[in-house]
Amino acid sequence: MGARPLTLFGDVARWFADPANWQGSHGIPTRILEHLELSGLAVAVAIVLAMPIALYLGHGRRGGFIAINVANIGRALPSLALLAFGLIVAIALGLGLGFWPTMFALVPLAIPPIVTNTFVAITEVDPDVVDAARGMGLAERQILARIEIPLGLPLILAGIRTAAVNVVATATLGALVAGGALGRFIVDGFALREYDQLVGGAILVALLAVATEVSFSALERRTAVPGMAAIR
Amino acid sequence: MSGATVELRGVTKRYGSTLAVDELSFTVPAGRICVLVGPSGCGKTTSLRMMNRLIEPTSGEILIDGQNVLHEDPVALRRRIGYVIQQVGLFPHETVAANIATVPQLLGWSRDRIRARVDELLALIGLDRNMKERYPAQLSGGERQRVGVARAMAAEPPLMLMDEPFGAVDPIVRNRLQDEFLNLQRTLGITVIFVTHDIDEAIKLGDRVAVMRTGKLVQYSPPAELLAHPADDFVAQFVGHDRALKRLGLLTVGGIELDRTIDRSRLGAAPTLSPSTSVRDALAALLVADARAAAVVDGSNYLGAITLPAIGRMLRGDDAK
Amino acid sequence: MTPNEPLVRWDWLASHAGEIGFRVGEHLELTAIAVAVGLVVAFALSFAVLRIPRLYPPVTTVTGILYTIPSLALFAFLVPYTGLSVLTAEIGLVSYTLLILIRNIVNGIRSVPSDVRDAAQGMGYTPRQILWRIELPLALAVIFAGIRIATITTIGLVTVTALIGEGGLGYFILLGMQELFSTPLLVGAVGSILFAIAADSALVLLQRALTPWARVR
Repeated sequence: MGARPLTLFGDVARWFADPANWQGSHGIPTRILEHLELSGLAVAVAIVLAMPIALYLGHGRRGGFIAINVANIGRALPSLALLAFGLIVAIALGLGLGFWPTMFALVPLAIPPIVTNTFVAITEVDPDVVDAARGMGLAERQILARIEIPLGLPLILAGIRTAAVNVVATATLGALVAGGALGRFIVDGFALREYDQLVGGAILVALLAVATEVSFSALERRTAVPGMAAIR
Repeated sequence: MSGATVELRGVTKRYGSTLAVDELSFTVPAGRICVLVGPSGCGKTTSLRMMNRLIEPTSGEILIDGQNVLHEDPVALRRRIGYVIQQVGLFPHETVAANIATVPQLLGWSRDRIRARVDELLALIGLDRNMKERYPAQLSGGERQRVGVARAMAAEPPLMLMDEPFGAVDPIVRNRLQDEFLNLQRTLGITVIFVTHDIDEAIKLGDRVAVMRTGKLVQYSPPAELLAHPADDFVAQFVGHDRALKRLGLLTVGGIELDRTIDRSRLGAAPTLSPSTSVRDALAALLVADARAAAVVDGSNYLGAITLPAIGRMLRGDDAK
Repeated sequence: MTPNEPLVRWDWLASHAGEIGFRVGEHLELTAIAVAVGLVVAFALSFAVLRIPRLYPPVTTVTGILYTIPSLALFAFLVPYTGLSVLTAEIGLVSYTLLILIRNIVNGIRSVPSDVRDAAQGMGYTPRQILWRIELPLALAVIFAGIRIATITTIGLVTVTALIGEGGLGYFILLGMQELFSTPLLVGAVGSILFAIAADSALVLLQRALTPWARVR
């Protein structure tokens, strides 16, 4: 593949301008929707699985060693390796290619930052505040719901943001196991040596990842208690 | 090792429109301890830090042994001035020995000379030699302060700058460190400029005390003079309402005029004091024993009696001597 | 790959031992170059930031965006210019190390206690001596934390470079995906995880050796 930087810009612009690329089951809008669907579902499942455990451990101030080490283990798991495991599991379960192997890779990817951040968020709430709440007669469940979660929310959301950005990035790899989503353009672009499609897809993926990061950051700022410095 | 003479001439530090230090002038004779004292924000630390040029004066002259430090290379200047701060600032990644060796190493001393000097200093500050390979995190607060002082003295500086060096340790350890430091200074004869906000520390350690307020020098005198004749209401208030009592702490019963007209036999049940007892402690002894006079005895030699009325006269300010 | 097939075919492993060794070497090389170059660039940028603090926000924003762009997309941007080459792989891998390394170097040096810095200056250390003999040694723990994260991340990302003809152990993952063959999939996936754990352990040992003062008490 030789470099063609001078004509590339025009090629990519034309690829975006071509109405054919915006229609049907292979069009840009469909791929974006697939990408969002896959990512959103993976993060939601990870939250459902991980959050209750992290809240429980954090509220009891126990299991810190596990909660922190989950993050370290999570970092050591390459996303492509997770996809390999996902593929093996999906086929062993007879679920086929595409959606399921990708899903099996994305959920474990999303869990570590959610567990660690939620745990830390809860344990870092000022113990005096919790003590005062307990002293005023709030039940443990109420302490969690009315004190610890609201105060820890920005940090909890930061964990979900890390998870979401990782998931959006890794969902791209799903195209390697015959998945849809935006990775399709890149993988097909590589395979067919079509630079317009390759770079066009890369632009879309990059924008989606940055948009995810930015919107979650905005959400974190809005949930911070006024007058309290946002934590991390 | 002997001390340097330090002279400040109209030293001023201005930050924007605020005057941190205003026309500060005084002279510290060689081998003496000068204590800068005053409430926080009075400019004492700024003044100290101008002497080794961690802060550059806006105007004025600082002379060490007659040489203007503002014409010197600041880095070279700092290497021949000892510097101790409240947080000590020991290098946590270096052993006690390496910390003490800092300036000699910067000055390029030979390895043998540095090793010998480190051993000598450890003995001087009363630290066991097996502490050499410890790291600062393994020391107690008092030990850290001692190492900090040893580090500052390593290259035999004629001048030491100390910024609340004993401020972070508990009162009992502080008292001991102060006594050790005084002994050390008397032995070595180096000049010391010492910053504190604690007037008692200033009176205990200072040969001269410089009281500062909002960047200005309000009074510069020996501690006894400061207590006897505060320059104004601010100084009087700063040294405390018990300043007369503090002054008694500076005098020993051997150093004042005793009443020799009272015969030893009349003091049968009264307390017996040695000449090195402070007048303050003598007063306490009299009050406890409910006596009007005490015998001052040097060994078996009766020197005279110290009486409550005499102490009363001192408290009122009409000097005994 | 069918549900009835064995998970690992040991005969395949035996007959591909030489190739596995070669790919491990490639993985190591790609990682080492990326982290080394990343460190050089990160130190240069960090020193600039420490000298001119207002450079910090733009530097973290740019490296932050680089870090956020998915690896596959970043390689896709580069290929039209630098082709399917080691250079493309390394540019991408290096860009991912920068944010973590710069953040840890700058924060590590900034978190050196001010009394230690003040004492050093007061005793006559030059600014250069303060940097090399006080600030960097004391920031080492934080810098090493960054190097560890950067190394582990890079080892993971090297697998993705299989798509542009490099990849180290990632080559086997891609092969397994194309042929739906679980043995190479596991060789690539488990191998890269073991490699990450081994590299991290080696870095921990190196850090212990370099910071004897952190072991006391």
